[in-house]
Amino acid sequence: MAEILFYVLSAVALLGALGVILARSPMGSVLSLLGSFFALAVIYLLAGFQFLAAAQILVYAGAVLVLFLFVIMLLNLGQLGTRFQLSLAPLAGPRARLAVTVAVALGLVGLIVAQGAAFGAPPPVGDAGLDPLPELALGLFGRYSLPFQAISLLLLATMVAVVVLAKRQRKEDGR
Amino acid sequence: MNVPSEHLFFLSSALFALGVLGFLVRRNVIVTLMSIELMLNAANLAFLAGSRLHSAPGRPDLQGPLFVIFVITVAAVEAAVGLALIIALYRLKQSVETDSASEMKG
Amino acid sequence: MENPGSHGWLWWIPLLPLAGSAVAGALHLCTLRARKTDPAARGPAALAGLVACAALFGSLLLSLRGFQALRELEPESARTLLSTVWHWITVPLPAGASFQADLGLLLDPLSSTMTLVVTGVGFLIHVYSLGYMKGDPGYAKFFAFLNLFVFAMLMLVLSSSLLGVFIGWEGVGLCSYLLIGFWYEKGWPAEAGQKAFVMNRVGDACFLIGTFLLVQAFGTLDVPTIVANFPVDGSRQWQLTLAGLFLFGGCCGKSAQFPLFTWLPDAMAGPTPVSALIHAATMVTSGIYLVARLNPLYASSPGLLALIAGVGAATALIGGSTALVQRDIKKVLAYSTVSQLGYMFLGLGTGAFAAAIFHLVTHAFFKALLFLGAGSVIHGMHEEQDVHRMGGLRRHMPRTFVTFVAGAAALSGLPLLSGFFSKDEILANAFAGGGLYYVFWGVGLATAALTAFYTWRLVSLTFFGPERFDHHHVHPHESPAVMTVPLMVLALLSVAGGVLGLPPVFGVTHALADWLEPVIEPGRKILERHGHAGHLSHAAEWALLGLGSAVALFFAHRGYRAYAGGPERDAALERGRPALAGFLGGAWRFDALYDAAVVRPLRLLAAAVAVVVDQFTIDGLVNGSASAARGAGAALRRTASGYVGGYALWMGVGALLISVVWLWS
Repeated sequence: MAEILFYVLSAVALLGALGVILARSPMGSVLSLLGSFFALAVIYLLAGFQFLAAAQILVYAGAVLVLFLFVIMLLNLGQLGTRFQLSLAPLAGPRARLAVTVAVALGLVGLIVAQGAAFGAPPPVGDAGLDPLPELALGLFGRYSLPFQAISLLLLATMVAVVVLAKRQRKEDGR
Repeated sequence: MNVPSEHLFFLSSALFALGVLGFLVRRNVIVTLMSIELMLNAANLAFLAGSRLHSAPGRPDLQGPLFVIFVITVAAVEAAVGLALIIALYRLKQSVETDSASEMKG
Repeated sequence: MENPGSHGWLWWIPLLPLAGSAVAGALHLCTLRARKTDPAARGPAALAGLVACAALFGSLLLSLRGFQALRELEPESARTLLSTVWHWITVPLPAGASFQADLGLLLDPLSSTMTLVVTGVGFLIHVYSLGYMKGDPGYAKFFAFLNLFVFAMLMLVLSSSLLGVFIGWEGVGLCSYLLIGFWYEKGWPAEAGQKAFVMNRVGDACFLIGTFLLVQAFGTLDVPTIVANFPVDGSRQWQLTLAGLFLFGGCCGKSAQFPLFTWLPDAMAGPTPVSALIHAATMVTSGIYLVARLNPLYASSPGLLALIAGVGAATALIGGSTALVQRDIKKVLAYSTVSQLGYMFLGLGTGAFAAAIFHLVTHAFFKALLFLGAGSVIHGMHEEQDVHRMGGLRRHMPRTFVTFVAGAAALSGLPLLSGFFSKDEILANAFAGGGLYYVFWGVGLATAALTAFYTWRLVSLTFFGPERFDHHHVHPHESPAVMTVPLMVLALLSVAGGVLGLPPVFGVTHALADWLEPVIEPGRKILERHGHAGHLSHAAEWALLGLGSAVALFFAHRGYRAYAGGPERDAALERGRPALAGFLGGAWRFDALYDAAVVRPLRLLAAAVAVVVDQFTIDGLVNGSASAARGAGAALRRTASGYVGGYALWMGVGALLISVVWLWS
């Protein structure tokens, strides 16, 4: 049962991703991405990562995508535009881009296939799931406390940067 | 869930490839940013699949989830800064096309 | 360093002038520094002349001491003082042998004679230069170079090894170049110095090949060893003849023999004391010294001797005929020197090594005298050198006149003067040679006639006849004592120097030949074994002496009379026989020949190389790589389009590549 759900959710995620690329307006892209994120969250849940599923929805769907929406609203980009407008950069035609993408995809797939028998049977999932919160907390504030502090510094810096970057310029020429 | 791990990795690869495609193909810079988020999610999925692979009953492998926490945080940060830049760019060029800011040529 | 042994004091003979040169050089530098602040400053330069003269006087005294020390040694064959200070080169060879070249000095009768000539005449010329070079901005530099030259020349004549001789050989060539081009600011002296140096280099190359052959034959370059071990049975003869031939090639360069003589007349661009010392008395005589030193080598090959005699005779003729039509007083003397050097080689070529050295000594006396006298004339005439614009100077410069006449008389071989005895001895030996040597004798006699003629032409045009100079601008005056006293000493030597080599028919011994006997003996023995007779009857000798005197007197008189009234005869020659005048005036057109055959092709080659190699290849490579870089840059610049989308693609490609590389390793 869970397996069937997994494959359905995978399809949804993939469709959502396609939607990001193919949507006409930025709004459509955001909404498709949202769907994709939800599907991923449930997949995490099915795989036994309960906390992370919640974190995915809270942070990604709830904060990041909302931020995207805010910006789109702010800049009034919600209208329908044209679809594939490739960049005008020389030496970077559509064929080159497709080629890179295909190369990436094939490479990854090949890597996985090359591992082959390294993938064993998946373990049974206990009640607490594969990301038990106490252990996570212990790890975050214990062994990985340095990255944790660095991340918090990063967040602080980001706050400052964002405010500076997006501030309305009040110049002498009165723009 | 008894899905073989390879399938999780395949899904991650597919999402990543789509993210790359979107990154390369679209001209709207906001969509480009979203593709980046997609790629990061694909990476998260790969981490978790790997963690799932190396866990034993009663002894879960925590490196995967921990790292994913960091990635989520950084992704959020990066999205914020990117969007701030887009706002600044829009103010300057009145457009969010990637081609509109091409003065640094040559 | 080896212990120089009990004869270590010999080293002071060359080292005193070297020290003098260093001091004079330092004084010159001090003067230059003083001139930086005050251009008219004289600085301590005046001291340099005195230092140089003192150094040379010290060398002279030591040379005399050496001469005395040798005389005290008996028997004659033991008259050798050797002092070695350094085993310079030691090369172990296979089969246990080794090649060794030492730095040492050898004093024997021959080198003693040469050192006396070099230091004696050199000292007189140094004193003369105190007056001649006074006021020249390069005064101290001049004495530095002059002393350096004397050092090199002394090394040349005193070295016991051919390697040391070569050092001196090169050293005198260098100093000659420096001194010829002393007034390089004028332009042509620099070219003359270059010409002299390059021609000498051709000779030096031959010299080196000759030394290589000698090393191959004897395994050493030590002269006493070579002479002692010289094979008397005629073995390896072709090798030795070849060596002698190449060494003679070197002599041709250094002693201005045909075909390498055209540098000597050009060398007159240097100051007159230089012409006197280097290009008359000492450096150009190095070749004669070398042949005399290696007399067994040359005596063993009659063909080589004949070649040397022929070259000498030909050169004598070329020099003498060219001197007939020269207008520059120094050029006359220069070609005369070429001619007289030819005589010396003629003497060597007849096997009369002692006679050649005798002529070397007398020539040093009278030619130096003539050059210094010419310098005195030039000085008094405010740098005028064209005899067509002189005349009647005997009234204005009496002392110069008298001494010059003495030198001219010796040069032209007037009876009982030094030049007469030395020249006639050579001619007698040539006559005695028989066969081919009769031709050489004939050429020599003809040249003697020419010599007398052009010498007295010169005297006549300079000192006699109407005064052809501009009396408003030129006021000829006698030179100061510091210049005329050396002239008088040299005049005395020119007149009385004949006592060194009075012919045996006079009933006395030939002093110089006796003195040089220990050195000449090995060669003489080889000559006797070859049946080289060379003995004349007394009657023949008296006849030749009479013939020589008659020729000299007759042509001297003719020369004097022809030009007593002025230089009209020269102009007549140019009008009547312009081809002959041009031929003689241009030294039988040798300069033109060398210019066309050597100088021009070399210039073309240099231009070709400059264009092909330098411009096309090297510049092409350098500029080409620059433009290639620029082109590559222009091509690559297209990727920096400014479009973010393009950058995104390249980022993707780059990330892909990095992953591939990382996974691969």
